[in-house]
Amino acid sequence: MRAWIFIAVAIVALPLIVRPVIASEIWIFAIFGLGLNLLLGYTGLLSFGQSTFFGSAAYVAGWLLKHYGINVFFALGIGVGVGALSALVVGYLCVQRSGLYFIMLTFALNQLFYFVAYQWTTVTGGEDGMQGVPRPSLGFDFSNPLLYYAFVSALFVLSLWAMKRIVESPLGRILQAIRENELRAEAVGYNVPRFKLLAFVIGGAFSGLAGVLYAMLFGIVPLEAISFVFSGNVVFATLIGGSGSLYGPIIGSFVFIWLSESMSVVWARWPLLLGVAFVIVVLFFRGGVVEAWNRLWRFSRPKTSANPSAR
Amino acid sequence: MLYALMGLGLSLITGVLNIPNFAHGALFAVGAYLLVSCINLTGNFWIALLVAPLGVAILGLVIEYAGVRRLYAAGHDYQLLFTFGLALILNELIIVIWGPVGISQLPPALLRGGVDLGFTFYPKYRLFVMVMAGLLVLLTWLFLERTRYGAIMRAGIENKEMVSLLGIDIHRLFTVAFALGAFLAGIAGALTAPIRGLSPQMGVDMLGIAFVVVALGGLGNLLGAIAAGLLIGVAQAVVAAYWTEASTAVIFAVMALVLLVRPQGILGIR
Amino acid sequence: MKRRAILKAGAATAALGFPAIIRAQQKEVVILGLWDQTGAFADVGPLNDRGMRMALEERDMKILGRPVKYVTRDGATQAGTSTRRAEEAIDGEGARFMIGPWSSGVALAVSEVAKRKKVLHLFSGGTEDISGSRCHRYSFQWAASPYTAAKTVVDNFMKANPKAKRWHLLVADYAFGWSVEKYIKEVGKAHGLEFVGADRHPLGEREFSNYVQKAAANRPDVVAMINFGGDAVAGAREIFNFGLTPKVPLIMSWSSGVEELIQLAPEIRENMWVGTNFYYTADTPVAKEFVKNYRAKFKTPPGYAPSASYSMTRLMLAGFDKAKSVEVEAVIKALEGIEVNDLLGRMRVDGATHQTLRPYFFLRCKPKKAMKEELDLADVIATGDTPLPKEYAACKDIGGF
Repeated sequence: MRAWIFIAVAIVALPLIVRPVIASEIWIFAIFGLGLNLLLGYTGLLSFGQSTFFGSAAYVAGWLLKHYGINVFFALGIGVGVGALSALVVGYLCVQRSGLYFIMLTFALNQLFYFVAYQWTTVTGGEDGMQGVPRPSLGFDFSNPLLYYAFVSALFVLSLWAMKRIVESPLGRILQAIRENELRAEAVGYNVPRFKLLAFVIGGAFSGLAGVLYAMLFGIVPLEAISFVFSGNVVFATLIGGSGSLYGPIIGSFVFIWLSESMSVVWARWPLLLGVAFVIVVLFFRGGVVEAWNRLWRFSRPKTSANPSAR
Repeated sequence: MLYALMGLGLSLITGVLNIPNFAHGALFAVGAYLLVSCINLTGNFWIALLVAPLGVAILGLVIEYAGVRRLYAAGHDYQLLFTFGLALILNELIIVIWGPVGISQLPPALLRGGVDLGFTFYPKYRLFVMVMAGLLVLLTWLFLERTRYGAIMRAGIENKEMVSLLGIDIHRLFTVAFALGAFLAGIAGALTAPIRGLSPQMGVDMLGIAFVVVALGGLGNLLGAIAAGLLIGVAQAVVAAYWTEASTAVIFAVMALVLLVRPQGILGIR
Repeated sequence: MKRRAILKAGAATAALGFPAIIRAQQKEVVILGLWDQTGAFADVGPLNDRGMRMALEERDMKILGRPVKYVTRDGATQAGTSTRRAEEAIDGEGARFMIGPWSSGVALAVSEVAKRKKVLHLFSGGTEDISGSRCHRYSFQWAASPYTAAKTVVDNFMKANPKAKRWHLLVADYAFGWSVEKYIKEVGKAHGLEFVGADRHPLGEREFSNYVQKAAANRPDVVAMINFGGDAVAGAREIFNFGLTPKVPLIMSWSSGVEELIQLAPEIRENMWVGTNFYYTADTPVAKEFVKNYRAKFKTPPGYAPSASYSMTRLMLAGFDKAKSVEVEAVIKALEGIEVNDLLGRMRVDGATHQTLRPYFFLRCKPKKAMKEELDLADVIATGDTPLPKEYAACKDIGGF
């Protein structure tokens, strides 16, 4: 309950602290992170190719928005659908492997999608990106950044609620069991690959949603949206926030986006700080900001074993 | 051949330490930049070619000791985060120290110009690199196959527990493996510098290719990495003749294929 | 230095939040330089910044009695990042005048932002779309039209090498490459050229061996590169390493001039022909002064990058002068049809397309023995300023405000 209050406050306060566009970007990236974390934090699958689904959804929806003038709901639906579909294809191929092989496979497939986007310049614009994606209105005039922000944050809340339901459901429990001990889950009778695939598809759907919102936010689908760098960004942001918690990706999104936007103005070499942050997180704060926060709250209490970020 | 070198180094690290070393590309770049600085200091390419990779190896030692060491038990995601953070730090340090502008480095006077091979004209320096890389690969392979320590290392890839049970200091083994992998990356970078020129981004592409080589050859399969490196180099050249733009993408397609169909790699037995 | 960084950090934090109304002083004219510090053009950004800063400092950071606030943003040579940061500078800092970015593809995206936010936008690059199919009232193109460039290069090269009919092209695979390639082929028709090959490579490519071998296999009379910066340097080097040049002449059709040439050894430059938007031996009073000052500050003579930003800034300032106003619309109207005698000599902005009509330089590099000093790299053998013929003009209606 406390978390929801924090989030509500954050949603209201954020546009007062940063520009609405950046604020929207933060929530969009948080949705993206939620999708990833279902795989990473809950199922124990390090998918290093999430931008495949994000980017594919953005391109398809962007194309339809631009050339066929579809409305917002349809665009969102397309985004979710394309995200889920591409995740189905990629996931089907990837769940057959595990460990480092799995990571490399997600990466390789991401590169292939990237190549297609890069080459198919007539559709995607290649290096220049798909420009001129409109932001159609929905009763409200979304060209007003604040109104669009409200829309985005509403969708975020919806996504968070949905993800919460998913991870607290039996499905969520099964996924965590798979993460803890795959063999045992298999022995108990669960079709592990099937469940992994399901996680993929759901994660992909969330990524797709984020992708469409992103395209409409900036009016452009840049090539980097389907690049492995972008895939890496969401992984790192989630790890920094804390992959052991539902809210980790949200915090990670805040930290990552805010850092990259504010730092780049001050120091061109800011990625150095980012790298240092990664190193520090890994060495000292494995559970990310969430763990650091928890540690702070519990520093006076005796150590409990119920720390969710313990591995 | 360069691909084989990079792949070998990375395969060693991922095989022995079971860590996805995302900093491998950055180590490659550091090797190249150290070469340039050495040449500026000493005026001699050959000295630099020796010193630069050693520098990278030392860097590898430090990295392993200070950081990687603590991550063996951590999941792949943290190892990835750590090595990626390292890559960022190294990349940015390169820009801070050497500037963001690309640098050109000429091959040593001895190796400039080209050789007429009859069917094509080929630059002398590239031939040198091929030979040199081949030599290094051979030397590394001999070390791993023929020496006692090499055997221990190979055993470490197969079964770490057994090796430590036999009383061998597994941590020292890891450190050496990492340093050796770093050395190979560093010398690959130093050798490449006169061919591709230097830029802070040079490590990023190499990283992707290195992972492809490792995937193709089979994780930890060192001979496989060598074979895969050669294969990829050839495949790229062949594809480039027909569909130049696809030459980079095609290797990822191959990687995906191999991972799906034969994850143990083309030569693997696992 | 440290204090400045801390102040900047504080300013950045504030910049992220508070609306422009609070921060931008009413009288200030805020000008944005969108220059890349990371990404494929990371080495060009600092050069652009130099030129722009020099032009502004010539006026003591003041225009029409108002202080000028010069802000820069790193576009990272990426469309997404550049548009985001441009918008942030416009909304957050109150920038109404924008110069950059360097990459033509990214510039197309940024141009959209200029149109949407109604800010003046100047740009120098090889895509014809900004003054062509994507033209609108707010963006201006400083670089020569790719047509002008192609015509200058091809015509003058053929004059010196009338028998070189088989051309192989090496093209950077984005907006700029496509535009220039199109016109080289167009102009080539009149000379009866045969294009035996045209390979595209990604921006930022460094491994050219495959491309070069393919080019060699086509047995061309000429290899013409349509790329820029690091790509061009790497390409030229490989073409030389594989023995294609100096037997076969190499054309760099859209070069940055000095900045690229100094990275190549004199042996590589033999039989190289270079087309560029600016070369430092240009014989105009403004150029001479600029080159002198630039060399005094930065040791090397300026290439295309800093000169372009310098000249664009001066052009914009001339617009302010002519309009006697700092309102975007007034300045735009003043720029349309403006004629100046500036860095390149006679320069005029076409009101209908917002394309700057100005000379394009064609150089021939000097062999080592003809070089009088280290930087005596090439001779300007011709300039061309044929504007784009009306039948090719894709900008039918520049539109309103």
